[in-house]
Amino acid sequence: MTEWWDKQIRRADDLEAHANGSRELLRFYGHLLRAQKDIYEFLCTRKGWLPTGELEADFPILTEALPGFLGAVESHGPAPLAAEAHELCEANDEAVAERLMSYWLNASDIQFFEKAFLQPYLRWVAESGARPVRREVAGGERYCPFCGGNPQVSFLQNKETTAESGNRDLICAVCLSSWEFRRVVCANCGEERPTKLGYFHSPVFDHVRIEACDTCKHYLKSVDLTRVGFAAPLVDEIDAAPLDLWAREHGYTKIELNLVGV
Amino acid sequence: MEVSRRTFIKTTLIGGAGVSVFGFNLAPVYAQTQGLKIARTTETRSTCPYCSVSCGVIIHTLGDKSKNAIPQVVHVEGDPDHPINRGTLCPKGASLEQDIVNDRRLVKPQVRRPGATEWEDISWDTAINEIARWTKKTRDAAFIDKDKNGYTVNRLETIGWIGGCTDTNELNFLAVKTMRSMGVCYFETQARV
Repeated sequence: MTEWWDKQIRRADDLEAHANGSRELLRFYGHLLRAQKDIYEFLCTRKGWLPTGELEADFPILTEALPGFLGAVESHGPAPLAAEAHELCEANDEAVAERLMSYWLNASDIQFFEKAFLQPYLRWVAESGARPVRREVAGGERYCPFCGGNPQVSFLQNKETTAESGNRDLICAVCLSSWEFRRVVCANCGEERPTKLGYFHSPVFDHVRIEACDTCKHYLKSVDLTRVGFAAPLVDEIDAAPLDLWAREHGYTKIELNLVGV
Repeated sequence: MEVSRRTFIKTTLIGGAGVSVFGFNLAPVYAQTQGLKIARTTETRSTCPYCSVSCGVIIHTLGDKSKNAIPQVVHVEGDPDHPINRGTLCPKGASLEQDIVNDRRLVKPQVRRPGATEWEDISWDTAINEIARWTKKTRDAAFIDKDKNGYTVNRLETIGWIGGCTDTNELNFLAVKTMRSMGVCYFETQARV
């Protein structure tokens, strides 16, 4: 069950070894993935317990995994995150529960701790067959059909053995599950006119590109697994952080910031 | 104080991309960004012109939409969302890019004279004049206005037209109008899609 996390961690380590500008980001993300894997392992190896999908009910179990997670962020994160992790270590359970519930009801990508801490929990909720309770699923193909989260990154992969091209899937920023999405459509506003959709690519990141929309001025990155099959979209997306800065300089806003804040 | 996502990102990223939203030093990332060569492509969904299966394709066009830049097709692939082919293409469809961008493509008219073994380049004016002359001569010689029973038929059986699968709708429209007006019966546009 932890193979998925191991693959992400291996990829983060590999990319960090060869990274140029994003080395610091990948180093932190590697540590964060290890901490998230620990949470996931703690939850799925717990005997006689399965998640209900109701955060308030599962919170007492979840809090047992919190100190290790906060310790990892405090040790390896940048100063602002380390300071916040320290504060949270000393906060009482009610304050932590309040923050988690606030994110649960209205997820935001600038709430680092809530997002990073709940990702392994929601992944386990999805895999165990439960459904998230009291999370508003907005509906529509642009949001995660499981939890209603925004897309973090898109990826292309061959689903037909004889296909000449890749199907497009989006990965949810909240629960990390993926869902199918059409190729030539903006994942933020649904724009379909080809002249309004730009795909920006640099040979330095050959299998990663920016999928931008000139109508809503939003973008997300896409990882092409038909070119690099062993890539991990969430990790490769962070490795290609220079593309984010380029997009921002050119007036595009990311649909969902990743866990290093770009 | 309630800080919106927009304000939060603005205050932490704008101004030289110093630090990320969560406090990461973005100076090395920004330095790498300066060296990137970024190309813009457009993806346009279309239909393969070759046969009546009508497979969906995605055409990748390179060009930044600047005024004097000519967009260039750089890749054609099957459309994975198309219900007919679901991303697959036959060998002809898979080589569609070469139908559009090909340095072996003929860009001027050629003629092979009776008895000649080689094709000869001719100008457009010469080609149009020669085609008009031969068409009139052939039509004048063989036009049938009435059949053996005396019915008016106005047909021409000594000229035929064969279209190509990549001919556009507009070309086929003109071909139909022209051939029908001349009474041509043996006529095929290959318009399948």
